[in-house]
Formats: sequence, C-alpha cells, structure tokens
Amino acid sequence: MKVRTTLPLAIKRLVLTGLACSLLAACAGPQSYVALVPSPDGSLGKVVVKGQQGEQLLTRAQQGALLDGSKPPFDVSSEQLQRDFGAAMRARPAMPEQFLLYFETGGSELTAESKALLQRIVQSALARTAVDMSVIGHSDTQGAADANEALALQRATAVADQLRGLGLAATTMAIESHGERNLLISTPDETPEPRNRRVEITLR
Amino acid sequence: MRLLLKMSHALCAAALAALSMAAAAQNTSVGYVKTVTGDAWVSTAGQRVKAAPGTEVSIGSQIKTAPGASLGITFKDNTVMSFGPDTEMTVDAYLYAPAQGQLQLSTSLVKGSLNYVSGVIAKLKPDAVTVKTPSGIIGVRGTQFLAKVEGAQ
Repeated sequence: MKVRTTLPLAIKRLVLTGLACSLLAACAGPQSYVALVPSPDGSLGKVVVKGQQGEQLLTRAQQGALLDGSKPPFDVSSEQLQRDFGAAMRARPAMPEQFLLYFETGGSELTAESKALLQRIVQSALARTAVDMSVIGHSDTQGAADANEALALQRATAVADQLRGLGLAATTMAIESHGERNLLISTPDETPEPRNRRVEITLR
Repeated sequence: MRLLLKMSHALCAAALAALSMAAAAQNTSVGYVKTVTGDAWVSTAGQRVKAAPGTEVSIGSQIKTAPGASLGITFKDNTVMSFGPDTEMTVDAYLYAPAQGQLQLSTSLVKGSLNYVSGVIAKLKPDAVTVKTPSGIIGVRGTQFLAKVEGAQ
C-alpha cells in the first residue's frame, strides 16, 4: 500500500499509458487490410495492393498493408492474424494433390510402376471430403498431332475407367486430352519420350 | 416482306442461341465447396442453395457465410479460398484454358475475411489474378495471403 502511493507520478503515468496502448492494440488492429504469409509448400510470393490512396507491395512474411494503400507496409503479429483470420484459415480445404502415370509407347497400357500407383491414388481420393478429380491425357510428339490428341484422350479414359473400377465409381471426374500440346519435357516433333506419354491426375 | 420476316426469324434464332450459350457458360462449374461449418450459401444466377461439401461454384456465384460460419472452396486451377464468418464474395470472372492461353480469375471480397492460396492461373499469368475490395484491388504473385474487409461504418 505504502509503496504504491510513493511511486513517482511520472512512472504511474507511464504505466497507465502503456496499459491503454496495449488495450487499444488488442481491440483495434488494422481494419481493412491484406497480409502476406508463406504458401503451404513453404514458398513466399508477393502481393500488391492498388488502393484509392496509393499502391503498396508486400514481400515479407506477415507483412500487411491497408487495402486503401494509404500507409507503408507494417508487421502483423501471429496473434493478430489468428484473431482476424483463424476461422478462415481453419476452413482451408486440403491442398490439391497431383499424380503422374506413364504409358508404354503407342497405346494406353500403363507401365508396371504406374499400374502399382493406381491403388494409392484411390486411397488418397477416398481420404478426401467431396473429392473431385481431373484426368488429363498427354502424348509425346511421335505421330500426327490429331492422332496424338485421340491417343491422349484414350489414355485418360482408360485410367479413369480403371480408377472407377478400383472404388471411385461415384467420384466427379473431368477427363481431358492435351494431346502433344503440353509436353512435360520439351522435344522436337517426332520424338519418342516416355516422360511425355502420361496422364496427370489431380485430386481436389 | 417475306424476306424481312425470314430475316427476323433468323435473328431471333441467333439471339436465342447466343443466350443459351451464355447461360451454359455461366452454369459451368469452376470449383467446388469442400468445407463448411455453420450456415453458408452459394447463389448462382438467382438460385440460392445452402452450401455443403460438393456444392458447385460457377462464374457469377456469390458466396455468403453467416456470423460464426466458415467455408472453403477449391477451384479447377487449384486455387484454394476459404472464408471466415460474416463474409461475402463473388466470382466475377474465371477462365482456365492453359492450352489456349486463356487465364483469368477475378473475385470481389465485399466484406469479411479471406484466406487465399493461389493456383495455376497465378503461376502462368500473375496479372490475370485479382481480388477487388471496396477500397483497393489486391494483385497476386504466387502465394498465400489473408485479407479482411470491415463492413461500412
């Protein structure tokens, strides 16, 4: 009791101001703002805000900027991000997952290794809620472009049929062909390339 | 006169065809709802449905979450967006035809909170990805970000 009353006035004031500031900071973070955070794969990109009051560029993790662009970027604490975005972050769906399946030359026969991968794809798909998948067929550049367009579609359809048979009969599948238009390994025309003879599967 | 009539018929048919094509384009799904807690809705072309895992999201769709609710969507190009409570967002434009170089993803965040993980469109054509808000436009250079829009005072 005695000690408290003998505290110099200046210190009392300091404590009070500090308390008020921290209270304010806790209640009123920045209002409308954007904050940059690392991607789920660990990489960090950039965000630019073009607002009514100016333009700001965010390049560091947990850097924020007001949406009107009026102030230079500022740091946002993890606690603040949790308060403002905890629910949105928890609602984030599982990130899409990709698989590549390869084929013997000229047809839609999977290589032995890729055949062994099918069961794993089915397991991963079944583990997701409301999964939808895309099945995109590709060819190498050997043969005519339109024949390859058809061949790649045949590959995608064959894989989709096998997956349906293995337990994904009810799964939404978008089946497409990119023919020889979307090479994984770029090659000249008329080049056999096993890594281009593929079907890309994405689970979402 | 006959010719005129024929011409107007042809015009009508063309207009109808154009209309139905526009409708078809609008109803093509560009993503699906994957997570929902609490009450949330997806409205497309005047039709409002209660959101559940698997609900389609199309060009023009408006997404709304109630206070205390949240929702997550995965788009065809692997863009992942999720929303906190009391949030409103619309899908203004979505083009995903990488082989033809047609890429665009424009959304508007009217209010609430958003967690955005950019996908293939942002990777291939960063300038084609924007999030409009009442006070500014967010541009995306391949990353994850968070955005909050406070309601008008």
